[in-house]
Formats: sequence, C-alpha cells, structure tokens
Amino acid sequence: MSRRNLVRIALYSLASLLLAGIIHIFVVLTVPGHVRAEAFARLARIGADRTFHVLPAVAPGAETLPMLDPEMGHALCWFRLGDGPVRLSAAVNSPFWSMALFNGAGEVVYSLNNRTSGSGELAMLVLTTPQLSILRENPPDNLDELIVIETDQAEGFVLLRAFVQDRPSAGLISKALSGARCETLRTGAPKSS
Amino acid sequence: MKSAFPLGPETNWQKTETPEILRPSRMSRLARALALIGTIATAVVLGLWSAHLALTSEELFQPIRIGVWGAHPLAGTPQADPYSAAIYARTGRVPLANGEGVAFVATTDSSGEPLSPACTYRISGQTPTARLWTLNSADRDGHLMPTAGGRVSLSSAGLLRLADGSFDITATRRPQPGNWLPLGEGNGLTFVLRLYDAPITTGASLVGLTMPAITRVGCP
Repeated sequence: MSRRNLVRIALYSLASLLLAGIIHIFVVLTVPGHVRAEAFARLARIGADRTFHVLPAVAPGAETLPMLDPEMGHALCWFRLGDGPVRLSAAVNSPFWSMALFNGAGEVVYSLNNRTSGSGELAMLVLTTPQLSILRENPPDNLDELIVIETDQAEGFVLLRAFVQDRPSAGLISKALSGARCETLRTGAPKSS
Repeated sequence: MKSAFPLGPETNWQKTETPEILRPSRMSRLARALALIGTIATAVVLGLWSAHLALTSEELFQPIRIGVWGAHPLAGTPQADPYSAAIYARTGRVPLANGEGVAFVATTDSSGEPLSPACTYRISGQTPTARLWTLNSADRDGHLMPTAGGRVSLSSAGLLRLADGSFDITATRRPQPGNWLPLGEGNGLTFVLRLYDAPITTGASLVGLTMPAITRVGCP
C-alpha cells in the first residue's frame, strides 16, 4: 500500500473519530430531556395535586420509582405555584425523616432532614419571586416559623422519606406521612390600613 | 502519448518529473463516495455505542469513589455533570438530595470481580459517619430481587456490631446467623449503601474515609 493511501486512511479515521465524539456528546446531553418526561409522567399519575400520597412499601416487583430505599416509607405531593404559594408541613415520629423539593424536571431545589429542622416539626413555604414580594407586603403571622423557598419553577413535587425501624411502626409512619400537609396558602386581601 | 514534435533537448522541459508527493491525485468518484459513507457510518456507530456504554455502566463516571463504592453526589441537581444527569434521567430515579444523604453503589467485590447473586459475600468494616445507613441488594439495573428472607435490606439501626464498632454482614441466598443480607434470583448484583445525614454530603473531606470491604466467600 502506498504511503499516500496510508495518509488518506488516517485522515478518514480521524474525521470519523471527531464525528463520533460529536455524536457521543450530543446523545449524552439530549438524553435527560427526552427520557425524564417518561419517568415523571408515571409519577404525575399518582393522584390529585396538593395532597401527600403515601407510596406503597418498596418491595421487589412493586417499586413505584426505581432505586427507592426499601427501609424507608415515602410520600409524594405534586404542587403548582400558579394558584398561590404552597405551604408544606410534616411531623413524623421516626429517628430519621427528610423532605426534598424537586422542580418539574426532577432536579433538587431544596432538601432538609429532621435534624436540620431543629424541632420535630418541619414547615416550608414555596413561592415564586412575584409571590414573595406580595407576601412581604402582608406577611402571615407565623412567617418566622416557616422556611421560605423561592423558586422560578411553576410546578414540582415534594418527596417525604421516613425511616421505618420495624414492622409495627410501619403503620404509624405511613399514617404520619399521609397526615403531612401540602396546600395552597390562602393569603387574605391586603389590609387597607 | 505521441508528441507532435520529436522529443529532443529543446522540448525536454515539458517532461519535468514532479516528485511523487506533489503529484495531484484524486480517488475515483465511487471510491470517494464509499469512503464518505464509511466514515459517517463508523462515526454514528462509535458515537452511539460509546454513549450507550457510558450511560449503562454505572461505575464509569462516578465523581466520588471510596474503595469499590461509587456515588453521584450531585446527580439530580442543576450542578450535576452531564453523565450523572443522563444516567439518573435514563433510569428515572429520584436522587437523594444532599440535605438527606448519599447513595453508594458497588458492582464489584474488593478484588474487582463482578458481583453475582449466586455467590456468598462478606461485607465488613466501617462506614463514614452518618446518623443512619441502610444497605440493600439489587440486580444490575437497580431493581430489587425477591428473596427467601422476605426482605432485601438491613439498616444500621438493627445491626450486630463487634466490640470496636465494625460489623460483619453475610450476603447470600441461604439464611445465616448474625447479620444476614438476603440475596435473590436475578440478573447481576449490586449493593446500595445509603448514608443518611452524613457529613460528607455537606462538603466534609473524603480523605481517610473507609467503606466496608466486599469479600467473596464462595460460589457454588
């Protein structure tokens, strides 16, 4: 084979490799946008918005979501900020429990666990920037007890996890999880003082 | 080629020898078309295959590795690297947020052999500081496998420990005394160790941390 042909083959291989690199990067970057929708569409069908739905116990063959911890109880609530700020509160009697706030794309916005919260109860207020400025005009009385989270996402979901230490406490924990609140905050009309 | 004039000293300048490397050369039209198609086809195959490989093999792009255990601590946040983001999106899992904990996955034993659910493993040592941790077995894709014991996991809360605080867990299909992690029937095996409320999720150093070792005891 002549030297010229060798050079030619090398150049074609180089072109091929560069193009393969571009395709690789393109695929990796576009996968989240395409596939996530499917996974979260299944989640959205779980029930009505603005209530915590306790997910069935994580067991082989009955996993609502992949890779959930089988030692934990889970509850999930979808919310929309279009109708007003959302107030979340929960109190679970478990050695460990946590709350994580996700945007509609499944990315974590905020998270905390029962120790970071200090007291046994945990209360959050999720709102958009315009809602925050309205709220500042007329703050609710218990604003200092709430963790205020500002987000630019119109919808998202909250996942509560609580450690189930033994079988007998499983019932109590799922009751506490379903008792958690996820509701639109009704702000009164601004006072005309 | 027949010349109109006889070649001689006066016309010899036409016959200058160009060196081989400078002589213009073109492939035939068909050869060029084939080379182009071949280049593009190779590129598409290589690109898709490498992307598939990167997104399906969990352990290729783990930003944190301690021993055989690897984690994607930023997955599911807007700061995640593209590979973590794509791996999490592809499997549709909801990540542990860093205010909650971190999930470590092991797909090989400490000698580098892939895990198999038919074998018996000893998981022993210590974990980094955490308020609570849980360990469960799953198949290669992270799905839980039905086991004879009826459970697939154990937690630090109900664990028998040695005097120095370390532990020994036997992972196998047959019931065992002591700490038993039941294994099931499935395709491949991974261990998932989740540390809840652990200082490493809030930026503590990874230096000097140890994770349990996974030793293969035997295979039938």
